[in-house]
Amino acid sequence: MSVEQNLKGRFLLERRDFLGHLATGLGGIALSSLFANQGLLGNDQASPIDPVIEPQRPFAARPSHFPARAKRVVVIFCSGACSQLDTFDFKPDLIKRHGQPMPGADSLVTFQGQQGNLTQSPWQFRPRGECGKMVSDLVPRLGDLVDDLCFIHSLKGKTNTHGPGENYMSTGFTLDGFPSMGSWVTYALGTENENLPSFVAIPDPRGTPQSSVNNWGSGFLPAAFQGTDFNSDKPIRNFRRPENLSADRDAATREFLQQLNRRHLQRFPGDSELAARISSYELAAKMQLSIPDVTDLSTENAATLKLYGADDTQNSLKAAYARNCILARRLLEQGVRFVQLFNGAYQTGGEGVSNWDGHKSIKSQYDVHGPVMDGPTAALVQDLKQRGLLEDTLVVWCTEFGRMPTFQAGASGRDHNPEGFTCWLAGAGVKTPFSYGATDEFGYKAVEDIVTVHDFHATILHLLGLDHKRLTYYHNGLRRRLTDVEGEVVKGILA
Amino acid sequence: MSFPERVLVTAALPLLTLVFPIGLFAQEDRLGGTADVTVAEDQPGTAQAISAQWHEVFASTVRPIFEARCFDCHGPDSHESGLQLHSLNAIRKGGDSGEPAILPADTNRSHMFHLITTSDPNERMPPDGEPLSEGEIAAIESWIKTAPPWKSTLSETSIDHEELDHWSFKPLTSPSVPHSLDAIANTSPDVSLNTTANPIDCFIQLRLAEQGLTHNPIASKRILIRRLYLDLLGIPPTASQVESFENDRSVDAYERLVDSLLANPAYGERWGRYWLDLVRFAETDGYETNRERPNAWPFRDYVIESLNNDKPFDQFLREQLAGDQMGVPVATGYLVAGTRDIVKSPDIVLTKTQRQNELDDMINTTGTAMLGLTLGCARCHNHKFDPVTQSDYYALQAVFTGVQHGERQLPLSNERRQRIEQLKSSIEEVEGRLAGFKSDADSVRPAVVFTKNTETFQPTKARFLKFTVLETTGAEPCIDELEVFANDQNVALATLGTKVESSGNLPGFPIHQLAHINDGKYGNEFSWISNSSGTGWVKLSFPQVVEIDGIAWGRDRNGRYSDRLATKYKIEVSTDHEHWNVIASSDDRLPFGQETPSVKYDFDQLPPAEKAFWEKQLDQLQMLKRQLEELQKTPSVYAGNFSTPEPTFRLFRGDPMAAREQVDPNTVEFLGDLQLDESATDAQRRVSLAEWITDVKNPLTARVIVNRLWQHHFGNGFVPTPSDFGKAGVEPSHPQLLDYLANTLLENKWSLKSIHREILLSATYQQSSEPNANAMEVDSGNKWLWRFAPRRLEAEAIRDSILAVTGVLDSSMGGPGFSAFEVELENVRHYHPKSNYGPDDWRRMIYMTKVRQEQDSVFGIFDCPDGSTTVPARNRSTTPLQSLNLFNSPFMLQQAKILADSLVRETNENLESQIVMAYWRCYSRSPQREEIELAEKFVAEYGLEAFCRAMLNSNEFLFIQ
Repeated sequence: MSVEQNLKGRFLLERRDFLGHLATGLGGIALSSLFANQGLLGNDQASPIDPVIEPQRPFAARPSHFPARAKRVVVIFCSGACSQLDTFDFKPDLIKRHGQPMPGADSLVTFQGQQGNLTQSPWQFRPRGECGKMVSDLVPRLGDLVDDLCFIHSLKGKTNTHGPGENYMSTGFTLDGFPSMGSWVTYALGTENENLPSFVAIPDPRGTPQSSVNNWGSGFLPAAFQGTDFNSDKPIRNFRRPENLSADRDAATREFLQQLNRRHLQRFPGDSELAARISSYELAAKMQLSIPDVTDLSTENAATLKLYGADDTQNSLKAAYARNCILARRLLEQGVRFVQLFNGAYQTGGEGVSNWDGHKSIKSQYDVHGPVMDGPTAALVQDLKQRGLLEDTLVVWCTEFGRMPTFQAGASGRDHNPEGFTCWLAGAGVKTPFSYGATDEFGYKAVEDIVTVHDFHATILHLLGLDHKRLTYYHNGLRRRLTDVEGEVVKGILA
Repeated sequence: MSFPERVLVTAALPLLTLVFPIGLFAQEDRLGGTADVTVAEDQPGTAQAISAQWHEVFASTVRPIFEARCFDCHGPDSHESGLQLHSLNAIRKGGDSGEPAILPADTNRSHMFHLITTSDPNERMPPDGEPLSEGEIAAIESWIKTAPPWKSTLSETSIDHEELDHWSFKPLTSPSVPHSLDAIANTSPDVSLNTTANPIDCFIQLRLAEQGLTHNPIASKRILIRRLYLDLLGIPPTASQVESFENDRSVDAYERLVDSLLANPAYGERWGRYWLDLVRFAETDGYETNRERPNAWPFRDYVIESLNNDKPFDQFLREQLAGDQMGVPVATGYLVAGTRDIVKSPDIVLTKTQRQNELDDMINTTGTAMLGLTLGCARCHNHKFDPVTQSDYYALQAVFTGVQHGERQLPLSNERRQRIEQLKSSIEEVEGRLAGFKSDADSVRPAVVFTKNTETFQPTKARFLKFTVLETTGAEPCIDELEVFANDQNVALATLGTKVESSGNLPGFPIHQLAHINDGKYGNEFSWISNSSGTGWVKLSFPQVVEIDGIAWGRDRNGRYSDRLATKYKIEVSTDHEHWNVIASSDDRLPFGQETPSVKYDFDQLPPAEKAFWEKQLDQLQMLKRQLEELQKTPSVYAGNFSTPEPTFRLFRGDPMAAREQVDPNTVEFLGDLQLDESATDAQRRVSLAEWITDVKNPLTARVIVNRLWQHHFGNGFVPTPSDFGKAGVEPSHPQLLDYLANTLLENKWSLKSIHREILLSATYQQSSEPNANAMEVDSGNKWLWRFAPRRLEAEAIRDSILAVTGVLDSSMGGPGFSAFEVELENVRHYHPKSNYGPDDWRRMIYMTKVRQEQDSVFGIFDCPDGSTTVPARNRSTTPLQSLNLFNSPFMLQQAKILADSLVRETNENLESQIVMAYWRCYSRSPQREEIELAEKFVAEYGLEAFCRAMLNSNEFLFIQ
């Protein structure tokens, strides 16, 4: 069907109807979704499926487009661009050609400038697990888990700066202003536990990542779907009852408020927006009860604290990140739909000091970051597995882009490289142990089964039972998607 | 510049002079016109012959190949991927990719040629069956290679007439106001049209009647005044304002109220916010560094003032696109209000992409905000829905390509200059009087500093000025900016035509370039460094002889770098480049590092009374000097900076490394022609676009803005996709009323207030908001406007209203904003929400410094956009986190306490009057008896503060109804 026919036909007429309602807020979304569910929008494969959102329960669980393999996701985001060459992408040729110029690199200008020579990883790679996958000594605990992991070695980015790179990995666009993956998922699926936020972002103990709030923002989606950021050390803002108010007075005030609101609603019977505000105070009160429970780690036993490293008195940073990992597990256990867990922050020092941006001295910098990330992250996967949660939880480990196989001219670190990098998945619906795609002989460019970030997103949505082409939201003339106009599900990694 | 009524009427008559009408395929041309390609003019006779021959080859040899092998998918009746190969125009236009199928004489860059010759089976055309034979390919190759050049614009006939058959692309209609319902077949007997009504009501009632609906009754005066205040000013009326309106029995009481509110300056603060949302205004760069733009706020004030003054909307738009040409440079803050990635890299791809993104932001915002066209969609391929080609997109990019982000110095106003002169003479006078008491008459100039050094001298004529560094604090000298003043105007600026040379420049650093020395930008990032340690010179050549009287220079005006400072130097001028005079040097300065002793006056010898007199004189002198220093500071604003446009090329798939043919500045071809070529200056380009956008014949501009006004009054526009009036947008619910209002706007010389007034005086606006079951069933979304639908206030109006009812709102207007954050000053900025608030934070929220990404910690979550992208209509979502913020935040608890205290203060501690007053302040009404009793019971147990906390959280307070 031509564009003109498509537009002048049925499609546009119905769009007009539901777009007319869209502007009335969440109530409108519910209405438009009803049209979709009644088949009024047609069953065209490409036609959008709008979630049915009850204004009073914006986070109520909603059906996926097709049966889902994963019910929830945890995304572990290594901020600053974690080197594939020093962790999971083993390249014998890089060792053989150590110290030699990379072919073609003399004219290659990357983010910070000129390239030095090819440089092997300062960490040794060894075969791990039963599958014998080569993983470096920088991440031995994750190495032990390779039989449960599915690596994608052929990711390809679009930009070589961190801000746009993190935007791209978290929102599908390099520009500011687009909704994050977590907010898309929450918009589509709601959550299984309405007493907790449906989407939680857990910043690194050292602070926020480079793209900060963009990583969990809702962009042009309704603000209801943005991530709520807190970690084991930093509570949700404005969440606690004010200190000088007794619980009794607080509750009575809320009840009095609801009384005012209910009286007012009598004049506007059935007004969904007014009713939604009444419900939001009830939900808020429930959250105030459930969040202290979920963030209280004192109920975790000593073995668990040890598994994660939360009891590590020698490395307080690791212990703090470990507490965040335990928090992530507890949130997932309680049915939170989307957890985004950050390792690395810009706030307390960029360029590799507090994040994975190892330009200057990758050895000394990663010697700090490796032990902090490795054990607690591995423990999270192990713990989810032993509790049976890995069956229907998807674990995603990612970073904004990779690093160069060369050292930078005049430095002992690696420059940015969006041409090829590694991420891994574990849990619901993915093939393990498995490695997909490959970079070239030096680990510079993805050359085999290239996976774009859009493909990566499409695959994550697919595992959650969502068709990335049909999950849309109208904004400024377009039905926007997480995957822009691209993205193919990477079928090769599906179990 | 022209408005092609032709394309709206008929495309048969080409506007451009066609040099070579071939007409071979006229009968097959879909438009029935001549199938011509406009080839370059000025061709000698032989070229004409070549061209004719080339057309002949196409007809006799090439087209038959296409017909046999390609027409199934790309012929006159099919256009897979938007590509047709049956006519030269179609070939030239290319398919959805935006790539012309061929480029004259260039097979390497001819997309079609690549596709028929590639060995990649996934790409090769035709996709099925055998590839083209060697003979066929050879024929096509030679035909491409012999193609004559063509002009960069597509010829007239390439516009597909069908694509223009869309309501918003057609000229405004002049619908007559319906005064009868005769036209409606199924008019129910109880529906009648009030023929004396406001024209708006006639249009609305006609459509209501079609649906079997009627208007709600007019709302009570109390509801109306509250609605008007919240809608127009964003704060509720006071009790006395409500009372006096209710008691005003005159027939024009409502009309006078409307007029007074439209004249209230708070109107600009409320409605300016909508415009700032639309033009993605914020006061940080965005992206990871998210640096502050401390001088972006004047644009915000410009918007507020323009609305308050009811500046004609066409002028308002023109100023934002080209205000530098109209004496309003602040307005060009519009062009650069968007995000900007300032991370620098030697990587050329990154640098070019960043620039493309900056320009895209300008194109996209201008398209959606001013024209309701989603032009950004054509960056990588032809627009999927609207007849906007990729070439159109890059033609617009050529309009903006001279625009750069940055600070811009504003000229001092005449009043200010006069004031400076007055101050100078006053200072001289006082100094003269005090001269006798100077304890140290032998004054030496202060030592040089890293930030800013000034040289003053008698007015001197100069055509050339040379600044020679003889010694530095170490390493090669660095100067971030060299300013030379004539009448307080910096005449050194490159934009004024001043040229610069040097002894040599430090190589390899884009941030250190000779051009930075007179680019008007301060700081290390825009500085010059010599290539020789300790020495170097720069020479300015002014376009003509100027009379100069001052110089300012520094190493880093932003004060971050303390190195490379010239400690010994001389400054010479010449009018003929032969005879040089030293006008300033380090010789009369204190040595570097020595502090300047301030001039001392000694009155010790005087009798006490006289001494007191002279000390007072001295105080006055110091005050005058401080005033002078303040006045002499050159005001800066974050606004458009303008440079000579670089050539613009169409980029294949939007890839900055895949430049294709050069594109001249223009607007979207199907709507008009700016008639510019590549020689047009930056200013000509922007002025032409501005004039075209605001031409009364432009079918979009007026429609788009009246739809926005309607939307903000009612919650919904006639077109619910307010920034997309194209084919993917939604058609208007009331097309005639939309055109009626657009015409009214034009008749009233683009006065927005005239449209507000007409809307506000309509019965449609004054309806009550009460639901009725029947109407809810037919039209729950209120598309046909049977009521005034209630809606939650936006973040700003909520915050402002809270401050207004607690009585602490600081209504001072304009100037630098207040911050919601404590800022961590790192390379990458971090913004930590404040937790303590005081009167400085209690201005209207439009004055809260707009930080991208980070939102105000209490109100941001009420769907407050962060300025990353243009927002024509805010979401209205409801979430528990909003409730937590309003219920628990220190800001709200403090306001609840302030409200409670003021109730006590103003009512002599009578509980009932306190409750009544709270109701009046928060809800603009008296409480009912039952409400008083409920409140009294609650307050008795939990206190007035808790009661105020509940009131400020309640729906009746937060909704406009």
